[in-house]
Amino acid sequence: MAIFDLDKVSLFYEMRTGAREVLHDLTFVVGEGEILTVCGASGTGKTSLLRILAGLMRQTGGRARFRGADITGPADGIALVFQDYSNALLQWRTVARNVALGIEGKNTKEEVRGRVAEALGLVGLQKNADDYPWQLSGGMQQRVQIARALALKPSVLLMDEPFAALDAMTKATLQDELLRVRLETGASIVFITHDIEEAVYLGDRVAVLRGTPGRLAAMFDVDLPRPREQVATRELPAFLALRHKVHDAIGGHA
Amino acid sequence: MSVMRMLRGLGGILLMLLTWEAIVGSGLAVYDYLPAPTAIAAGLPELIYDRGVIGEILHTVGATLLGWAIAVALGMSIGALLGSSRAARDYGLTSIELLRPMPAVALVPVAMLLFGFSIQTELLVIVIPSIWPVLVSTMRGIMTVPDRLEDVARTLRLGRVETVVKVLIPAAAPAVLVACRLSMTTALVLAVVAEMIGNPEGLGYAVVREAQALHPDLMFAYVLIAGMLGVVLNAGLVWLGRLMLPGVFNRPSAIAGSP
Repeated sequence: MAIFDLDKVSLFYEMRTGAREVLHDLTFVVGEGEILTVCGASGTGKTSLLRILAGLMRQTGGRARFRGADITGPADGIALVFQDYSNALLQWRTVARNVALGIEGKNTKEEVRGRVAEALGLVGLQKNADDYPWQLSGGMQQRVQIARALALKPSVLLMDEPFAALDAMTKATLQDELLRVRLETGASIVFITHDIEEAVYLGDRVAVLRGTPGRLAAMFDVDLPRPREQVATRELPAFLALRHKVHDAIGGHA
Repeated sequence: MSVMRMLRGLGGILLMLLTWEAIVGSGLAVYDYLPAPTAIAAGLPELIYDRGVIGEILHTVGATLLGWAIAVALGMSIGALLGSSRAARDYGLTSIELLRPMPAVALVPVAMLLFGFSIQTELLVIVIPSIWPVLVSTMRGIMTVPDRLEDVARTLRLGRVETVVKVLIPAAAPAVLVACRLSMTTALVLAVVAEMIGNPEGLGYAVVREAQALHPDLMFAYVLIAGMLGVVLNAGLVWLGRLMLPGVFNRPSAIAGSP
């Protein structure tokens, strides 16, 4: 069964000047275990799409389903990672207590401690458990947010441009960490980005949103071998060809 | 480095006292009731043995802390209500904006008519003006919690109570705690004022009593004690803040508050 199933999903915002359409007739599915990257320029509704999948916002037209059921609110098994890590982390809690936030009310102390340690291990932050977020670099803070998501043991990770605010080297490192985490946890991932190379490098498929309101302009299968490798993969003719196609589908400027 | 700075600070105080001493001693300033610092210091033992200064300090501290605690409780609850409810703001904000600029001291005669010379008078005078900083900061603090944190709470599927207790209140806390300190200063000032006029007890009354008895040295000694009380209360509150919110108050930009 598909993880997400979208059927003609549209979104209108009510504004004082009248309704404005943000998403128009999106139809696609996200399969079990796949990484779907969603790529598009600013203003094409990428973030709105992710908020609908997360249950933070209701579509105004069409149907959006998670594992066969209509999405009515944040569902069990879905975890979100936001771009602005410094707003998304509780700056007054230590790294470990940030990671524990989503699970501490629902599990025993030992269970929580075990899962926090495991999640921190997955992102290589075991040694920083007692630090505060503001003591860490941007890349490490984003790892904390990913660990907080992983501690939920989600079957789906929704990520909204998670690496956009990071420098190129940190970004590359975190991309590879994410692919490794995916292998170890088997989670499906919907990954929003405006970086074409990132979309191709990470994805099993790339969805391209275009225009205002955002429409699904293209859906590409990424036929590249795994494990992917920062230098070698990006030099493959297939990678370059796909990058070209995504670039054209986006509209030439992104 | 910081020891050096502290020594320089103390040096400044010493210099000021020496100047004062020199001006009074040399007869440069001719006021009948301006004692030299040494005379004030000589009066301190009398305060302890003859005047019961400990009891007077305890009265003022007690009234300040009690009034402040009431003000903080009221300010936080009304502020939280206004911060989280549009309707409450529509009904309440205008009245608050009208009441807030009222000069605090103008309350003293009002309170005296209501309660006479009593601790109730003193508390009323302390509480009302001390509410405002806490109320306004709590309201603003809750209104300016980043939307992102609400998203986080929802996607982690925290309950409403869990969200308020674990996310909203701590996020607003730095601003509220700064306001609590301001409020403490206000409370102490008004406690002393109220004791001077409305409730003949504590340090405020002692200052007036010594002035009327023509004991300027003792009067100055009492003023000094009231000033030191302010420093101690403020330091205590900063320490309490660090203890309660280590993640917020030890960071370099604690006052700025934004991450």
